This record gives sequence, C-alpha cells and structure tokens, in this order.
Amino acid sequence: MAERTRLHYQEELEELERSALSGLDLVVAAMDRTLEAVEHQDIELAELVIADDDRIDGRYLEVHQEILTLLATQAPVATDLRLISAMLHVIHSIERMGDQCVNISKVIPLTGHDAPQHEDMVDRILRMGKQARSMVSQAKKAFEGRDVELARDLVRQDDVVDQLNKECFALAVEVGDQKDVREWAMTMMLVARAIERIGDNAVDIGEQVAFVVTGLFREFEDASHPGETPAPAP
Amino acid sequence: MLERVADQAKRATGAATGRKDAPEIDVSGVTEGVRHGHALKGSDTIFDLKDLTVRYNGQPAVKDVTMDVHENEITALIGPSGCGKSTLIRCFNRMNDLIPTATVEGHCFYHGQDLYDSKVDPVEVRKRIGMVFQKPNPFPKSIFDNVAFGPKVLGLKDVSERVERALRGAALWDEVKDRLDQNAYGMSGGQQQRLCIARCIAVDPDVILMDEPCSALDPISTGKIEDLMLELKEQYSIVIVTHNMQQAARVSNRTAFLIVELSASEKDRWGELVEYDDTDKIFTNPADPRTEDYVTGKVG
Repeated sequence: MAERTRLHYQEELEELERSALSGLDLVVAAMDRTLEAVEHQDIELAELVIADDDRIDGRYLEVHQEILTLLATQAPVATDLRLISAMLHVIHSIERMGDQCVNISKVIPLTGHDAPQHEDMVDRILRMGKQARSMVSQAKKAFEGRDVELARDLVRQDDVVDQLNKECFALAVEVGDQKDVREWAMTMMLVARAIERIGDNAVDIGEQVAFVVTGLFREFEDASHPGETPAPAP
Repeated sequence: MLERVADQAKRATGAATGRKDAPEIDVSGVTEGVRHGHALKGSDTIFDLKDLTVRYNGQPAVKDVTMDVHENEITALIGPSGCGKSTLIRCFNRMNDLIPTATVEGHCFYHGQDLYDSKVDPVEVRKRIGMVFQKPNPFPKSIFDNVAFGPKVLGLKDVSERVERALRGAALWDEVKDRLDQNAYGMSGGQQQRLCIARCIAVDPDVILMDEPCSALDPISTGKIEDLMLELKEQYSIVIVTHNMQQAARVSNRTAFLIVELSASEKDRWGELVEYDDTDKIFTNPADPRTEDYVTGKVG
C-alpha cells in the first residue's frame, strides 16, 4: 500500500469545505429570523437580520481568500480541483441567499407596524419560506454526503416553491381595490420573489454536488427550456 | 576521450557508420511532409504500441503497454519512480538496444512499420526520432560545431543554414549568434538544453523524445523550454517524460499514467499503463482512482 502524502493539504481542503458549508447554517439561521419577522411584522428582528448579514459576507470573503491561497499554493487537480471550483459556486450562492434575507428584511418596515394582512398570502409566503429553508439544509446534507440523488431531489422541492410563488401572484392580482392593501401585496410579492431565488440558489448548490461527484456540469433544469431535463442521471 | 564522446554522439544522433547494408525504415506509406521531417498538421497516429514489454535481465521493467501517440501533439508520460516511463520512452527510438541486457517484446509501430522488426536499422530510427535527455549533454565543442555535428556526419548540405535554422527553431539564435565559436560549456544550463534541442532538430527529425528535459533547470529556463515545446509541436511530434505533473498539465495534449505493480511475493516490480487520455481529462476527471490519487498527490 502506497504511503499517504500531502496530509496537511488534505486537512486544508476538508477545513475549507467545512467552513464553506457551515455558511449554509448561517443562511438557515437568517431565514428563520426573516420568516419570523415577516410573520409578526417585526421590524427590530428585520434590522437584526440586516446587521447580521456581515457574518455571511465575512464567511464569503474568508472562504474566497482560502480558495485563492489553495489554488496558488497547492495547484489542485482532479476531484480536488472540482471541489474547489464547486466551493466558489457554493460560497457565492450562500452570499446571495444572505442578501435575499436582507432584501426581505428591508421591505418589512415599508408595510408599517399595522399593515393590512391577507391571511392566505401570508400563509403561502411562510410555507414558501419553510420549503426554501428545508432546501438549504438538504443542499448541505447532499454536499456533505456527495449524494447526487438527494441533490437532484432539490429540483422537485423547488417546484413546490415555484408553485406557491405563482399562487401568491394570483392572490396579489385579486387582492382588492384599496391602495394600502395593494401596496402591501406588492411588497409581499418582493418577499416571495426573494424566497423563490433562495430556492434556486439551493438547486445551484445541488448541481455542484453532481459536478463534484461525476465531473459533469449540467444544470438540473434549464430555465430557458423549462420542462426539459438536460442532465441525464450519471 | 573526445573520440568516445563523438562516437556516443554518432549513435545518439543515429549517425553511426556501421550496418550500412541494413534497410532503411520503410516510409512508403508515409506522407511526403513526414518523410522530409516536417509532419503535416493533424492528429494521425504516429506510434502505435501493442502489448509492449521491456525486460532487463529477464525481469520486466514495463509490461503490456498498448497506446498510440499522435502527430503534432505533445504526449506526456507520468508516474512514480520505477514505473518504467523512461524505459518506455527509450523504446520509441530503440535506445534500449544500447543496454545489452534489455529485451523488448510486443510491437512498437512507427507510421505502421514495426520499429523492432529485424530489418529495421536502429540508426535510421534515431535519425528520425531524436532524443533530449534529463541533463544537458553538449559536446565539448563550439556552439556551432555542436549543432553542425549531425548534419556534417550525415553529409547534409548547407550546414551553416541548417545550424542557424536549428538555433532559431530552438529559440537560441539571438542569444548566441555573436559567439557561435565559443565553447558550449560556457552556456547556462537552460541554454545548453536548448542547444541540445537545436542539435536534435538540425537533422530534421520527425519526432523529439524528451526524458525529463527540465528537471535540471530553474523555473525561467523551464518556462523557455516549455514555450519552445509548444512551438516545436507545430512541426514535430513530441513525447516527454516528466516528474513535474504541472508541466505535463501545462504543455501536453495527452497524458499516459504508469504505475509500479508488485508481484504477490513483492519481490518483483514492474511498470504498467493505468490510464491514457486527453490531458485535461486526466487532470480534471481521471477515470481510474489510482490516477486520481497520483495526480492529486495523495499517494507518493
């Protein structure tokens, strides 16, 4: 049996992955707060989410710098190279998901403390949020386990988010004639849109899982050709 | 001393005077451009190895290698020490013939002609398939004479023009044109290696074999040789043995990975070809886990 070498480098790679993927835990925590702020119209909590996004941005910069260092000093190839390339995508998705929580938190004060709430619409937005949150956790689990099937399942989960988003839109169109209610509904559509994007980011991470495992990069679903399945099962 | 060096050089450049009666390599099926040492563009097969095994004293050094080498490409052979990559590259121009205990089984077809056919003259082979070694080995002569040696021995015309063309081809002309009469030993290591490349291309070979050509050079000289290789492959086909995997990744079109195999008793060891593919495939998504472990440096 040949002797194992470059152990320090392997440790650095493992630490990089841990550091990047735990960024998803930060996103989950931000989403929990964001959804609670939406549900209770809690402006203070929303401000906390905005302030706390610095932690996610900090993780992004940290992982990005570590990736540059590993590329420059270790010349990674093969699976190591694919992992590092995937990490660049993953950490970018994490940063984007954090920003979507900030986007949601920023619009909460616009609706005021006693905003008119359309129960069905709030219900759907909260369901969307829980679904997207679950997808973020699933993306992390799929990456850690190099589980392509679990990663591909994110597409099915994302269909639920997309469907709820469409229902929100339909409800917003029919929300009524009052100006303040219409304003509230339009703001809620911005919230729904941000959550929908978080779901897409989770699917992007799933695609990176498939890339690391198979070496083939294909989108699970092509937004410009919906309904087609561009990625054959490996 | 000088005579011995010159004799070695004759053999290395394929200019030995013996075996005049031996038939030349049959290149009737070879395109005109190739026959005159200027391979045509494309990726036709130039070497085709079939179950090639090389033994030293009956012990296999490399076993059952089957692979093809393509024209106007750089083909890299990589693998750990003892995997037989140097032995393998020496099969491409029958350099193993110079080792008395070496025997070769299987086939090494060059443009369809088996190089190990008894009718083939190894000297003629080495004229078409030149070699550059790990350590620069200029003759203790002037820069001009080093490059002119092969063309003179072969009785080629226009030696001065050939020398200039070869030195230009080896990206050395501008550095040495004003001191062609000076001893080659006064050159830097990197210049000496480019001189050896110039000496090799001065006789218009078809293929250049390079056995770790940069391992004795600093990074700047290495960079120059690598740039030169990329230019040379437009005209020649190149096979390179390298320990430097990044060098294989940087310059080669295809990479062959060899590994050391041990017998059950662990007494015998030999090299085997594990994987041969496009270089970007080998370095981004190799098919064999042993290749993966080697290129990522997980095993030594």
